[in-house]
Amino acid sequence: MKEIDALNLPEDVRYAEDHEWLRPSEDAARIGISDYAQDQLGDIVYVELPAVGRRLTKGEEFGTVESVKAVSSLYMPVGGEVTAVNEQLAEAPELVNTDPYGQGWMIEVKVTDVAEVAALMDRAAYLKALGG
Amino acid sequence: MNSDPRTTVLYPRHRDAGANMGDFGGYRMPLWYPAGMRREHRAVIMGAGLFDTSHMAVVTVVGLGAHALLQRTFSKDLDRAGAGGGPLADGRCAYGAFLNPRGHVIDDAIVCRRGPEDFFVVVNAGMGPTVAGHLVAVADAAGPLVSDFSDQVAKLDLQGPASARILGRLLEAPERAFQGLGYFAFKGHFDPRHPDAEVVLLDDGTPLLLSRTGYTGEFGFELFVAPDRAPGLWDRLLTAGAEYGLIPCGLAARDSLRAGAVLPLSHQDIGDWLFIHHPWFFALPLAADGRTFTKDFIGAAALLEGAAGAPHTLAFVGRDPRKVGTGPDTRVLDERGRSIGVVLTCATDTAIGWVEGRIVSLASPGRPEGFDPKGLSCGFVRVRKPLPAGTPLVLEDGRRRIEVVVTADIRPDRTARRPMTQMWG
Repeated sequence: MKEIDALNLPEDVRYAEDHEWLRPSEDAARIGISDYAQDQLGDIVYVELPAVGRRLTKGEEFGTVESVKAVSSLYMPVGGEVTAVNEQLAEAPELVNTDPYGQGWMIEVKVTDVAEVAALMDRAAYLKALGG
Repeated sequence: MNSDPRTTVLYPRHRDAGANMGDFGGYRMPLWYPAGMRREHRAVIMGAGLFDTSHMAVVTVVGLGAHALLQRTFSKDLDRAGAGGGPLADGRCAYGAFLNPRGHVIDDAIVCRRGPEDFFVVVNAGMGPTVAGHLVAVADAAGPLVSDFSDQVAKLDLQGPASARILGRLLEAPERAFQGLGYFAFKGHFDPRHPDAEVVLLDDGTPLLLSRTGYTGEFGFELFVAPDRAPGLWDRLLTAGAEYGLIPCGLAARDSLRAGAVLPLSHQDIGDWLFIHHPWFFALPLAADGRTFTKDFIGAAALLEGAAGAPHTLAFVGRDPRKVGTGPDTRVLDERGRSIGVVLTCATDTAIGWVEGRIVSLASPGRPEGFDPKGLSCGFVRVRKPLPAGTPLVLEDGRRRIEVVVTADIRPDRTARRPMTQMWG
């Protein structure tokens, strides 16, 4: 298990309590799971993602991530319409472990309400939530 | 279990290695190391893996009446568990279970015979007091001495086809130690004061009890050693094994390897129900007719009387790595969608995949070039009727449904039974 100070927690994303991250952008925001989440889950063997075009509200399940331990739900950090999913994860789910903020991204969404993005945690707040 | 989990003597090694820890059988144990379960699982198939299994318990049964006590309590017939159906020989082990009078499982065990009235019995984590207590309760007042030896021994499992070559580098006399050490044979002793302690020694003089057993389906050893010698042995094995791909492995890989090898987890795949109609029929003293037993033992009458109405435990394999949960909230559906049972184990064997209707492993001789499987879910279901291999089933856990088939075997080309001569030298 990674020590808290060994976690990769970039500054350019915002974090949700359920350990998803969101990288804000003009067109579409990318969403994935944090380094802490992938470390806790262990080797990821399967990722299930929603269909492009689905509209989901904040807190709604958008997919599942399957690890050695269990099948875990993925929750929307904000509401929005799914505009893209990472097709690479079907063949290489381990990208979520090896590059959680890069090639291991999961979905892109068109955010419904930007206020929900502002309400997410920054790096310092997330680190504090993790007990660091 | 008690409130605070216990730790094994190797706990500092796991912590320093950065293992993700979890609680199992009352112990704080490594689930996986930074390499991850997938690499750990594959290391055991292709090279070797090292497991801390010091959480397991050992009960000794020694003295006049020891054999009779085990014949009365253990499901395997020790008088017919040896080569050619003869008695279990000295230096040999047998797998079976201890049952209560209702025919339910108290725990499964490997009984190892040191002499006609001298046995040691390896049971599951935290089960030492329960099994020892059961044996004492059954024994006559003047019976054999039954002792829970668990805290006086540590156990390391070295598993995988390179195990003999790795261990051979640390043994004082590997040729002698490996000579005649067939599947389910053992030699030596971990207590320096025991006369057998001279039989298997490391080159630094550490005595070992060396056993050709394990819980992965792959070739390898269980190494019983005095607790104060365990950390040194752990370190030396990892150093000696590095060039063979040896890495430390956690309980997650242990679970996926044993599921793929069709081995049960006690209190999950066998437990508080009749110990009959399951893939481990060899643990029962079945007579040639397949319906009666060659000896009487505690639980036997209940098994025979209840057999007709008892549930059936079957191995299954899925189409891809996707799993479902396990336990009473799961459902097993037959072809007509009728609920016929529950899921007991569902793990992903990450070394196997389907190739043209056949399960192929990373170790299969005929595997396609560049074969890099994502793994297949597999495990056990308990259903109310017998079903032949190939029967399709749907498993449901409230979140997802997966399609699986009943199977006689899961991971092909396993190495556990390979002759020593093939794996050494």
